[in-house]
Amino acid sequence: MQPLLRVENLVKHYAAGRSAGSRDKLVALDGVSLSIAPQSTLALIGESGSGKSTLALCIACLEHPTSGSIWFEGIDVAALHENQQRKIRPQIQLVFQDPARSLNPRWTALEVASEPLIVRKDTSNQERENKALELLDCVAIPRRLASQRADELSGGQKQRLAIARALALEPKLIVLDEALSALDCSVQAQISNLLLELQSSFGLTYLFITHDFAMAAHVADQIAVMDRGRIVESGPAENILRSPSHEVTRSLFAATLPITETPGVGLEL
Amino acid sequence: MRYLLRRSLHAVFLLLGVSLLTFLFSALAPGNYFDEMRLNPQISPETVAALRAQYQLDRPLPVRYAHWLNAVAHGQMGFSFAYNSPVAPLLWARARNTLLLTVTATLLAWLLALPLGVWSAAGFGRAPDRVVSWTTATLLVIPDLVLALGLLIIAVRTGWFPTGGLTSVGFDELSPLSKLRDLAWHMTLPVIALVLAALPTLVRHVRASVAEVLEAPFLRAALGHGLPHSKLLYVYALRAAANPLISLFGFSVGTLLSGSLLVEVVMSWPGLGPFLLEAILARDLYVVIGGVLLSMIFLVAGNLFSDVLLYWADPRIRTAASAK
Amino acid sequence: MKQRRKLMIWLVILAVLHGIIAAAGFFAPYDPVEQDRERPYLPPMHIHIVDAHGHFHLRPFFYPLRLREGSFDQYEEDTATTVPLRFFERGAAYRVLGFVPSRLHFFGAPGDRVYLLGSDAYGRDELSRILYGGQISLLAGLLGAGVTLFLGALIGMAAGYYGGWRDELLMRIAELFLALPWLYLLFALRAFLPLAVSPLEAFLLVVVVIGMVGWARPARLVRGVVLSVKERDFVRAARGFGASDFYLLRRHILPETASVLLTQAAILVPQFVLAEMTLSFLGLGVPEPMSSWGNLLATLQQYNVLVSYWWMYLPALAIVPFFLGYLSLASALQERAGAYKIEEKGNWNPS
Repeated sequence: MQPLLRVENLVKHYAAGRSAGSRDKLVALDGVSLSIAPQSTLALIGESGSGKSTLALCIACLEHPTSGSIWFEGIDVAALHENQQRKIRPQIQLVFQDPARSLNPRWTALEVASEPLIVRKDTSNQERENKALELLDCVAIPRRLASQRADELSGGQKQRLAIARALALEPKLIVLDEALSALDCSVQAQISNLLLELQSSFGLTYLFITHDFAMAAHVADQIAVMDRGRIVESGPAENILRSPSHEVTRSLFAATLPITETPGVGLEL
Repeated sequence: MRYLLRRSLHAVFLLLGVSLLTFLFSALAPGNYFDEMRLNPQISPETVAALRAQYQLDRPLPVRYAHWLNAVAHGQMGFSFAYNSPVAPLLWARARNTLLLTVTATLLAWLLALPLGVWSAAGFGRAPDRVVSWTTATLLVIPDLVLALGLLIIAVRTGWFPTGGLTSVGFDELSPLSKLRDLAWHMTLPVIALVLAALPTLVRHVRASVAEVLEAPFLRAALGHGLPHSKLLYVYALRAAANPLISLFGFSVGTLLSGSLLVEVVMSWPGLGPFLLEAILARDLYVVIGGVLLSMIFLVAGNLFSDVLLYWADPRIRTAASAK
Repeated sequence: MKQRRKLMIWLVILAVLHGIIAAAGFFAPYDPVEQDRERPYLPPMHIHIVDAHGHFHLRPFFYPLRLREGSFDQYEEDTATTVPLRFFERGAAYRVLGFVPSRLHFFGAPGDRVYLLGSDAYGRDELSRILYGGQISLLAGLLGAGVTLFLGALIGMAAGYYGGWRDELLMRIAELFLALPWLYLLFALRAFLPLAVSPLEAFLLVVVVIGMVGWARPARLVRGVVLSVKERDFVRAARGFGASDFYLLRRHILPETASVLLTQAAILVPQFVLAEMTLSFLGLGVPEPMSSWGNLLATLQQYNVLVSYWWMYLPALAIVPFFLGYLSLASALQERAGAYKIEEKGNWNPS
């Protein structure tokens, strides 16, 4: 089966110096390759600074890579022009880590959920409102909260709203960049379950970025470990969890999973 | 050192840019000095044409600009149509009068603002601060034009001050001391106007900077060491608050030529302001450009001056600059 | 919240002040161009309640002023007749907001003319001229501020959003404009444009010129806001749904600049009104017969007026409450925005 997403040798440099012509550069991605099968979940694990967010932005076509390709359904989206990219973007949606910043706090929940549809321009106000309410239902946000301002919702509700918004344009791939990391433990559990439900309902594919192995273990089919702009280990989830081989994998493993737990057993949250 | 060089280069570019802009602008404007002449039936069109050719008004723009730049490089500033003489000496004479006024006013304003600001900051929230705050607030609300005209009316009705001019009639026959007194008498009103206009902003800035510094722990420590209060305020606090004030001072220096235009016009002080206004109205091209350039030089010099002072006074800037 | 209340108070005060000027037709007893050649340079009249014989009158009144024998500008009260002041009088025709005709005035004196603030060389009522003049001066200031903020917002957004060489170029030009002495630029701009134009054209020219002088500072501030908002996640998210640049600027970025623009408006409007006054005072602004605060003051340039007719200075004081209102509003807005900044008299002393 053809992978939905295939990243090949992605490289991204940032100019780091103060002045415009500076030679210093920050290497965020140093030749990253991975692939995700349709309707599956790839968990990308790494510490902060490993380049995960940069990868997320590039895949979502919000940043231009310095070199390499990103094949989405057979098209190299990295090589497209801005106008063409804009057409592809709705199919790859991003859910950010901090919903307080990724939603415009002054807008109501309904406005936030319906914003992607406004951009579409081919729907009437009523259609948009209906669709937005449906989306809120999907993510279990009670309808009475629809006219609340986004900054008045709880953390978990905000993130559900962000997910609802990501679903609005019926994307094929959703990139979740540390989407659960800012939430309380119990809320994390609820939302990761929600994500799994949505995946089976809508046939979604996830790129689940996290630094937490426990979380990855709960949702992932495949795992890839990233360190300093490179993928150091990847493979099916059970394999990696049972016997992590690379030292980075091992240290992350040790840091986020209790030492006494046997991998693969008793990790259901 | 390289930092200063870079700032100087920046300044030169700024000057060039402004001169180009002014030149372009005035040259593109409809009407020029000789239009007036053309309307005069007594002067033949040939004379007008000849004069225009003499002043090179027929040449294309870039050529005229190049000529002018060349002249400036040699210390000249072009030729005035209205006065039929080189621009530079005319400007200098007027600029001297302006500087007489503004230098006095600036020094006075700063000499008043520093103690007032410090005193106000030291008594933050209490009586002295409130008095100063209210006074500055009141002054801020009265614009320069209103202030200047108001002072003028007071002068006229009380007869305490002259209503204009640099000196009285018969100035040349006075003794040197009387000459000085006469000059001072004429200067008083415009200087008061300028000081009152500048004072509120200065006082507020001093007050804010010093108040901020007074919060700092190192000053509390110094107080604990038993330093006398006034020394603490004037020596330590002020020095720590110096940075924004040095920039402000540079700005004061920079506006020495341009800040007094309105006051000079209202109070009939024969300075650069009224002269330039006249030239603008008469479309005396090179006078206008020369005047603007002169003011710009001061402005840029003022900025540079404060940059140098900051560099010298604040070791943090020196290290930051050399780290680049 | 105390800050909100302060804001509201100043807004109300400003609204009242503007309202009075807007309703100049109602508050002014006479038409500003109506001349009375018999009574040039009349000093402000005294309003009495107790007359010369010690009687108390319920209605305030005044004594008509007649020229003293043998003088041409000394007046004395004629205590023989009393002329009562009546409120809500019918008087000269005017139009409310330019199209609703009315004859109702706040006060008037049937049978004679009351000059509360004196008269000018042609016997025109100063109070009426000040009220009507305010309309011109305030309008010039408001419109000029509108032009500047529009320009500044446009340029600031373009520079901040697109970045790169466009940003560099625009900011260098802004630096140039900021460096030029404000007043000189104003004069030069106005003076180099045609001088002999109709009052309406002159007014528009003044507005445009004033507007083009001050765009640099708002542009810089707006650019700062845009730079910070541009990187926010909700803007990124909107880009993620395929939003166009225009949508992002309009729906997300522009609202964030509102607070900066409002504060700048509060600072700029009074300065621009002052700019109009200065231009008109020097003869470069609105010409007669249109009255503006500036050209009302222009007569003060004549020495005899300065000496003998002090009430011609009063139009200058008219701007003071507006300065107070706007500067206090600006300070309240800045406090609300969280940063306690010191009011800068700022742009006026050229900066």
